Amino acid sequence: MNVLALPVLLPLLGGSVLLLVRRSAARRAVATAVSTATLLASLVIALRTFQGTVLSVQMAAWAAPFGITLVADGLAGLLLLASNVLALLTVVFAGSSLQHAPVRGGSALLNRARDAFGAQALLQFLFMGVNMSFLTGDLFNLFVAFEVMLVASYGLLLLGGELPQLREGFKYVVINVVASAVFVITAGMTYGLVGSLNLADIAQRVAAHGPDPRLTVLAALLALVFATKAAVFPLGFWLPNSYPVPPAAISAFFAAVLTKVGVYALVRTFTLMFPGEQLLPAVLLALGGVSMVVGALGAIARRRWRHAMAFANVASIGYLVAGVFIGTHAGMTAALYYLVNSVAVIFVLFLVAGLAERVGGAGYRKHGHLGLYPWLGAGYFAAALALTGLPPTSGFIGKFGLVRALLAAGGGLRVAVATAAVVTGLLLLYAATRIWREFFWGEADAVHRVEIPRVMSGVTVVATVLLLSLAAFAGPLYGLCGTVASQLDGNAAYRAAVLVPDAPPREGAH
Amino acid sequence: MELLLPLLAALLIAAGVFLVLSRALIRLILGVSFISYGVNIAILLAGEGERRDAPPLLQLAGPYNDPLPQALILTAIVISFATTALLLVLALRAYQVTGTDHVQELADRPDPVRPPVVYADPEVPSVSPEIGTDADVDEEERP
Repeated sequence: MNVLALPVLLPLLGGSVLLLVRRSAARRAVATAVSTATLLASLVIALRTFQGTVLSVQMAAWAAPFGITLVADGLAGLLLLASNVLALLTVVFAGSSLQHAPVRGGSALLNRARDAFGAQALLQFLFMGVNMSFLTGDLFNLFVAFEVMLVASYGLLLLGGELPQLREGFKYVVINVVASAVFVITAGMTYGLVGSLNLADIAQRVAAHGPDPRLTVLAALLALVFATKAAVFPLGFWLPNSYPVPPAAISAFFAAVLTKVGVYALVRTFTLMFPGEQLLPAVLLALGGVSMVVGALGAIARRRWRHAMAFANVASIGYLVAGVFIGTHAGMTAALYYLVNSVAVIFVLFLVAGLAERVGGAGYRKHGHLGLYPWLGAGYFAAALALTGLPPTSGFIGKFGLVRALLAAGGGLRVAVATAAVVTGLLLLYAATRIWREFFWGEADAVHRVEIPRVMSGVTVVATVLLLSLAAFAGPLYGLCGTVASQLDGNAAYRAAVLVPDAPPREGAH
Repeated sequence: MELLLPLLAALLIAAGVFLVLSRALIRLILGVSFISYGVNIAILLAGEGERRDAPPLLQLAGPYNDPLPQALILTAIVISFATTALLLVLALRAYQVTGTDHVQELADRPDPVRPPVVYADPEVPSVSPEIGTDADVDEEERP
């Protein structure tokens, strides 16, 4: 059995088993065990890819352009590891949070109903879709992986059936169904035009064919789809209202990982399949710059915890997309480091927001919580510093790398985006400080302390420690990102690993 | 046939987009289905042409239509079937909760005001409700 298939198969198996388990405690145990096993498999894959090898497996031994390929290079390994660490934390946190009320004034019964109607199983299917998106080497399978991920996320978003869920959920489903329609039509057109759906094979054929406006149209359609999933500025209007709807842990995973899947697909599209495009990366770079500013302004405008954090997520996606499309090795390195940082920061911020909502309700304009919940304040402080990009944190290292790469690459657009990045840092600082002042600072409004369950605070502490360790071990991590970035430059190893020339021919094929 | 199928795909997608832009949930869902029908026909077109000589498992003489796009369509049909079913249930539930299937009325409906809760949970001590609930946030934030 090849280890590459495990991150897809284990959650599938686990999710199916979870549908049959009737006791809540047993479900939590099974889900935790499955996610731990998936994390171990991802760790094995990631450690191997970090040494520079590209792993690949042809399902059922069908040779590359015809069969289904699973492939893991450094980028896939990095994201797989990051998302599965968060998956395990999400499962543990959700197991506890589904036993309690979602926000102050909310009903614990609603969350228990969610638990009983398969929230844990849907989470596993969500992880399956995410892992499959990172591992697949085939455009159509990427579509299928996106659908698995999205259908699970529809379920998680809608479980409970309250009015905000129905309203935001309907928009979310329709946007994603239309985006998926564009995706599948693009996959069909790619097959009609290029004659292959295997990513590495498409790369070979496109490179051999040379520039062609029709290929640019394909790249533009794919960029449209993936930018919608990643919530880049004009296409990301669905995100800020829909991500705060599900329970805390689930929305934390949504915000931290699902948007990054879109960014991952964008990276694959423009480094592997269509590396020759000139205009589209520039457009996406500019849109990344706009996303930063819009996200930061939105985070200032919103008065509710997770709504503000969702906008902060848009800003962080903006940095990420801008970094990916700088087009230099230094830019990609910084973007990859920022990617890991952003996954951790957004996750911690959403967990903190979830706990704050538990103790104070959805809005953050209630003063004086620092005295009652000093450790919650500490967690928020660390994550907010990393979000804004102030020095001792990993956010600073990532943003500094991004701005330096932008200025080094030169050009009016890049300098403008660098300016936007710095201004956004200040705007985010204002947003973060305001939440600090309004929620943690000041004369205490609250009299009674609401107990935060041990498991939930424990997971938040672990996530915060992971975030801080990104800064502590920044040197090796940044070096690793450099290795991954040079692997993405040209993707020779990726193509060599997938398109094995001397694969044994299959019986009956000719 | 050369022109008929592309025109049909274009027509279906155009009708779908028109319906998606309307304000009734049920028409919106029909629009989504129309788009997926158009998409399926468009993928079918990708397999047209004479470039495939034989299916990989058979030793018969060609020419064949490419089987791969048809496999893609099959997958796309299953997925769009599932999402349409989900959307229908969602629209029904929205109608049950709000009594309307109009998009604007659904958006204007204020979120339910939750009473401040005294936790019955043994792990969580009861809280005094003087801080307020989501309701006071909603007043500030309604567009």
